[in-house]
Amino acid sequence: MGTVADNYKDAASADAKIVVRDINWVFHLKRTRTEPARDFIALEDINLEVKKGEFLVLVGPSGCGKSTLLDILAGLAHPTSGAVYIDGKQVSGPALDRGIVLQGYALFPWRTVRQNVEFGLEIKKVPKGERKAISDRFIKLVGLDGFADRFPHELSGGMKQRVAIARALAYDPDILLMDEPFAAVDAQTRENLQDELLRIWEETKKTIVFVTHSIEEAAFLGDRVAVLTANPGTLREIVKIDLPRPRTNSDIRSSAEFGWVRHKIWELLQNHQPEVRGAIDSRPVADAISPSAEL
Amino acid sequence: MKSLIVKRIIAVGIALSAWELLPRLGIIDPLFIPPLSQVVVTINGLLESGELPTHTLISLQRAFSGLTAAVLVGIPLGLLLGGWFPRLQQGVEPLMELFAQANPVILAHIIIFFLGIGEGAKIFIIGWLCIWPITFSTIAGIRDVEAQLVKAARSFGLGRGSLFFRIVLPAAAPAIFTGLRLSAGYAFIMLIASEMMGASSGLGWLVVQSQESYHVQRIFAGAVVITALAVITDLLLKLLERRTVIWTNTGELDICDTHEPKRVNLYQEEAP
Repeated sequence: MGTVADNYKDAASADAKIVVRDINWVFHLKRTRTEPARDFIALEDINLEVKKGEFLVLVGPSGCGKSTLLDILAGLAHPTSGAVYIDGKQVSGPALDRGIVLQGYALFPWRTVRQNVEFGLEIKKVPKGERKAISDRFIKLVGLDGFADRFPHELSGGMKQRVAIARALAYDPDILLMDEPFAAVDAQTRENLQDELLRIWEETKKTIVFVTHSIEEAAFLGDRVAVLTANPGTLREIVKIDLPRPRTNSDIRSSAEFGWVRHKIWELLQNHQPEVRGAIDSRPVADAISPSAEL
Repeated sequence: MKSLIVKRIIAVGIALSAWELLPRLGIIDPLFIPPLSQVVVTINGLLESGELPTHTLISLQRAFSGLTAAVLVGIPLGLLLGGWFPRLQQGVEPLMELFAQANPVILAHIIIFFLGIGEGAKIFIIGWLCIWPITFSTIAGIRDVEAQLVKAARSFGLGRGSLFFRIVLPAAAPAIFTGLRLSAGYAFIMLIASEMMGASSGLGWLVVQSQESYHVQRIFAGAVVITALAVITDLLLKLLERRTVIWTNTGELDICDTHEPKRVNLYQEEAP
């Protein structure tokens, strides 16, 4: 334990918000008809630092463990070895200093837009009057004023994802963790949401870790792009994106610099291999709430 | 939606007219199936004599006692097995399937031996059959809660208890309702079965007694009232379902539904 803390002290730079140290994630594959049981290394020796207020994108082929890494940052999964530190404190589980946005929206269907946005505030035991003021602000921030009393099933995919973002921001976490949040919406909506996200990020000054498999998205959004390769999932390189900001409402996507960045990431991704899916999503509900569950 | 109501009225109308006309035209022997109008007259007579209200009330009491007992046992049992002890649930599942198939009517003698011939045995028979759909659907509802939903909720740092009551239970509500409606249907079937064995009141008894005296109109009168009660109960449950489980559109009313499904397509994506 002492050595891990020492490693952290040795290596972390002063303005680091999130420090990822020597993360390994190994899971056991059961024997199948054709293959014997074996250990599968989903993440190997991941070391990473995210600065305060930085927009870091994790990009990689499916199965490189990028979503698992995000789950570890969220405290939803425990690494086989290694540790994550936020503000110098080791992460031991999920907490309200991090907000998470998932690809499938995961809105609570029995709650209205407002009630969804207020969920974290209820957990935080914010009084009702204050809750309303806060949710009003964040519903407005994501451009959904007028839809506060709608239910999720009445909204389009893009609007649902806006609600999910508002829900993750409303209780004011320092860090926003986003797992392929725009993968399920159409291309047009996707670009709009990317613009919106950059605007919201600039307005709220959150530290964002954003997982995607889209090179274009990574290049457009990130300050830095961490390129992961699969089998085993390793961090291949971190590409610094020096494109000017604000990037919204500009022709940046068609600029030569953008093309170069995109190509660079593409090259780094070239020698990847097919994947084995991580275990977290397929975990039955009962496992999460039974007394034997790991929380 | 309008045309749907018309279609439904026409379908019911044809069936009712056939019931009236076929016996009257002599195509069906009215000794076996009396025309609808005669049955209505019989129902009216039973209403006026006060027999029908008395028996209906007793039958309703039995059906709802059995159903309530099933809800009070079935939902917590399903929650415990599905939510807290999934491994135990996997173990006892075959046993539960066996219990669900065990017909209490066959075991009536044993039930009466333990509980006597009174209300207890009847409510037990009804409750026994009603428990299983509720329990099974509660277990299934919990098992099928979207993993992403639980993941999102866990990211808020929710403890196990609040995760269960704030997320898993409401997410399982639609499935629980499905089981509840299935059980309500069973309750009325078992009500008649239980009243056919050693009862001296209730709609089932009324039917059996009419069978013995070969009073065909009264048999049909009893059948119509029982059917109506079952249909009304199901409608009320659907109404309750639609009020509680607003986010699914499964709670559609069958008979006279003018309610457009509230699936407004809000594709003005960039409007705000």
